Amino acid sequence: MRKVYLDADSLDLMLVPVHSEYEFVFIQTEGKCTAKIHLKPQSNAKFKVKIYIYAEGNSEVDCVCTLDVPKDIDGVETDIQFRSWPFDKSKIKARPEMFIANSNIIATHGNALGAMNKEDTYYLASRGISDAKELIKQSLINA
Amino acid sequence: MLKITNLSASIGDKQILNNVNIELAEGRCLLVTGQNGAGKSTLLHAIMGRPDIAITGNIDLDSVELHNMDCHERARSGVFLAHQAPPTIDGVNTMTLFKEVQKAQNLDITTGNLIKQVKDLSEQFGLPDDWSKRAFNSGASGGERKKGELMQAEVLSKKTKLLLLDEPDSGLEQSSRQKIVELIENTCNSGGSVMLVTHDKELQAKYNDNKLDLNNA
Repeated sequence: MRKVYLDADSLDLMLVPVHSEYEFVFIQTEGKCTAKIHLKPQSNAKFKVKIYIYAEGNSEVDCVCTLDVPKDIDGVETDIQFRSWPFDKSKIKARPEMFIANSNIIATHGNALGAMNKEDTYYLASRGISDAKELIKQSLINA
Repeated sequence: MLKITNLSASIGDKQILNNVNIELAEGRCLLVTGQNGAGKSTLLHAIMGRPDIAITGNIDLDSVELHNMDCHERARSGVFLAHQAPPTIDGVNTMTLFKEVQKAQNLDITTGNLIKQVKDLSEQFGLPDDWSKRAFNSGASGGERKKGELMQAEVLSKKTKLLLLDEPDSGLEQSSRQKIVELIENTCNSGGSVMLVTHDKELQAKYNDNKLDLNNA
């Protein structure tokens, strides 16, 4: 399942994962977006969550993804990954929160900043692209 | 006509090229040879405008002063470099990259035809079905990356005045190497010029009549 949010302001999602993979894409060009994603899996649910955040200008995104596994939920396997691209003067706060009360759970998470390195920037320039912003934005929208 | 006059290039404190002079007419392919470290790739990157290569001297393409331009402006002026080691670029969708190149370089092709051309070419090159949907070069082998470079060269061929090929054959199977020859011939036949760096003996033999040996440059 894939959802794209363009210039959202406030979002509060409660999700009982049934698919194997979820992608949430936030494109913020203005204003502030506050997003909360609550994951409440059933026993033996196996799923991945990828959250991509692009921000430009003076926009801000504050996103938290919460995994809630009470004691009676067993055998969950999950991976939550954030990837953020803050351009210009934008700000992105992105964090996973895990509340796990059962020991038979596998839960991993990661948080990466998607800044372009010099090699990537040069490569794109050699194709005539001087600004990667639009490329990243369109890639996230069209992927 | 590519005219390079007294080109010297250095990276940091290390001088790589010293007073290189080249005249390359339209429709010609120049084979660039030399031992490892002789500066073959540096020469191509200096022409492309890699920012960490400091140069002195002049690089003129059809009287346009490339040496005064940024890398992206040189690309838009018709210089295409098939990189020796193209990077993986996370977050950049391959088909979207083609579309942005189309916009940046004002290619005379509709988006629909571009998508069709990319799909047709990826089939011809034997690339995986989902290649254009992936992040750029994500999970790609060395050979697949080289094929991706040749595909881009093909898409941009009508705009290319100077094709720079930096070891385009390494990692490629024999059938795809024929594509390199076709690309060179097509570029030359449509009035462009080519500079070829290769260790492939067959390609070297084919283009040996016009050669720059950087060991002695």
